Amino acid sequence: MLHVQNRELVVPGQLLAEGGYVIRQGAFREGDRIYSSVVGLADLHGQEIRVIPLQGRYIPKRGDIVIGVVIDTHYSGWILDLNSPYVGNLFVSDLLRRKVDLLREDITKYLDIGDVVVAQVKEVDELMRVQLEAGEPGLGKVEGGKLVEIVPAKIPRVIGRKGSMLNTLQSVSGCRLKVGQNGRVMIWGEDQRMVNAVVEALLTIEREAHTSGLTDRVRAMLEKLKSEGGK
Amino acid sequence: MEKPERLIVDGKRLDGRAPDELRPLKIKAGVLKRADGSAYVELGRNKILAAVYGPREMHPRHLQQPDTAVLRCRYNMAPFSVEERKRPGPDRRSVEISKVAREALEPVVFLELYPRAAIDVFIEVLQADAGTRTTGITAAAVALADAGIPMRDLVAAVAVGKVDDTIVLDLTSEEDQWGTTDMPVAIMPRKKLITLLQMDGHFTGEEFKQALALAFKGCEQIYEAQKLALKERYSVKHEEER
Amino acid sequence: MMYEIVSTVKRDYIVDLARQGKRVDGRALDQYREISVDKNFVEPAEGSALVKLGNTQVLVGVKLERVEPFPDEPSSGVLIVNAELLPLASPTFEPGPPDENAIELARVVDRGIRESKAIDLEKLGIKPGEEVWAVFVDIHVLDHDGNLIDASALGAISALWSMKPPDVEDWKLPEFPISKKPVAVTIAKVNERLMVDPCLDEENVMEARVTITTTEDGSICAIQKGGVGCFTLEELERAYELARAKAGELRKFVG
Repeated sequence: MLHVQNRELVVPGQLLAEGGYVIRQGAFREGDRIYSSVVGLADLHGQEIRVIPLQGRYIPKRGDIVIGVVIDTHYSGWILDLNSPYVGNLFVSDLLRRKVDLLREDITKYLDIGDVVVAQVKEVDELMRVQLEAGEPGLGKVEGGKLVEIVPAKIPRVIGRKGSMLNTLQSVSGCRLKVGQNGRVMIWGEDQRMVNAVVEALLTIEREAHTSGLTDRVRAMLEKLKSEGGK
Repeated sequence: MEKPERLIVDGKRLDGRAPDELRPLKIKAGVLKRADGSAYVELGRNKILAAVYGPREMHPRHLQQPDTAVLRCRYNMAPFSVEERKRPGPDRRSVEISKVAREALEPVVFLELYPRAAIDVFIEVLQADAGTRTTGITAAAVALADAGIPMRDLVAAVAVGKVDDTIVLDLTSEEDQWGTTDMPVAIMPRKKLITLLQMDGHFTGEEFKQALALAFKGCEQIYEAQKLALKERYSVKHEEER
Repeated sequence: MMYEIVSTVKRDYIVDLARQGKRVDGRALDQYREISVDKNFVEPAEGSALVKLGNTQVLVGVKLERVEPFPDEPSSGVLIVNAELLPLASPTFEPGPPDENAIELARVVDRGIRESKAIDLEKLGIKPGEEVWAVFVDIHVLDHDGNLIDASALGAISALWSMKPPDVEDWKLPEFPISKKPVAVTIAKVNERLMVDPCLDEENVMEARVTITTTEDGSICAIQKGGVGCFTLEELERAYELARAKAGELRKFVG
């Protein structure tokens, strides 16, 4: 039996349901009852219950695309800040996809502290040690562009159902975007005004992620900024 | 100020309240930009700010726990928060309060989800009028939820005491100073579990039970205000408010 | 203090914008963020002010306490400014005694008030040689998004101008002896451009900053250069003109 409606805003400790539902995220079970563990939107589909959090740090999981910043180098690779309580480790061989003679080569010529990297999470162990890889096409060191950080919980909204929001952002602004699950978004564009417009749009999505009709509002906002010719 | 002859006259306390009445309460979530979660609470003349950073990397590394996050709490009073200026920095009272506040909040947090990490809770008393530790815990619970940290429930806290042989809810500093007993209580309202309990003064066994019951009643009201503050934070406002 | 991680991408972006005379948040080079000053925010303090400068928030409280005077100034009151960079204000602030940044902040704010003689300390004696009033200005940084100095200085002078005299017998003055409004203006140098009121992102990439505190007549009472970069003479002259102009605008918030 359900005690909340779909897309209802719930708080920790709030009773969601009683019975044999399957918990996907953001909730926990005590005996027969299921409670929310976070502030978020109740998402109910058939026998599945989840609470989509509206806040929270990014916790790396396998397969995620992330945008990291190099904060340290070691003998065989780099440590990346992932906007998370957990840093990521990137071995040289996972960036260059070939063997490197570490005695001969200075790996800082490939990546140095402060560089931004698009990577994929290869593996996470029980101690939350994170291995990254960045050798595949579409991954690797980032040049130019603007880096924006938003609340990671809002990233799914930046992508949208079947990529609809991301498409809108790119097609209307003419900019190219790369979205990291860890709350970071890279924006590249010829027209600085449109880059800034995309930043505005991202901040709007962050603020209004849990409302409906957002994709249309964002499209309208970008069209307006485009025709206005900047702020 | 000299001790008034009576602290309760005709069923009314010095500030006009009934024995089981809370001071005016205001809670706002998400008031700071840098912190991961934050909350501002006014209870009577108390003005308390709580902020949470976390989960985040734990330093020093040798204090990391391999299978769980570590919850750290720091209660601090601003020098101008009390009548006689308080020197900056932790004193023995602040250290004790930091400890019991942490122990009041820890039971609700799912620490095991974040191995090796730290969750830092900061309670800043900007203006004090008795009940700062319980108000601080109330604020901290909202700040933890505001940070998106998974919790079993919120924690609501309030102090009860005895003045003029009457059990009262939510003491002011005069009542704390001139009354006989002060008992701060924090609870997980959903399961009615007590996570903080301290007392100094005098209670008979019967008075103690009454006082606890009154504390529960007060915490229920605070709990409703906490939940409302969190919900309000995420309701869309058409005019940008900050 | 832990350092902020600034990616090269972010740094390049801000530096590049500066070259074009632009800033990350769309402000003009000589434009301050939105300011609000909420006076008498905390009651136990004789004077207080909560300052919001963009997202930066600083609460300043002023309390009067009786102390022994300095031996060489037996009937003069004492000014003490203290700043706390509270750990809740930034992930880079750690709990503990004030570090070099907190101490610099306090001393720069102190200098602005002291050197301008904004407070007539001579009027704050109680019993010459035995007891005087100490003016404790406590700066409590609550949220750090850049330019803590200007926010703290504005908070301090606003709090001093909002002082309610203590309700005690030996307070003989009609009101608190404050007569000037020193205002600090901080100018950052990013890629050879000067910009006022740096936000946090700008602070993290700037070469250097200079804070110039002026009073109503445009005279300077305090200067502090910070950061490891350098200023030319010409830049400093321009900075002074900027500081003087902006101080006039900020002064309106003091009340």
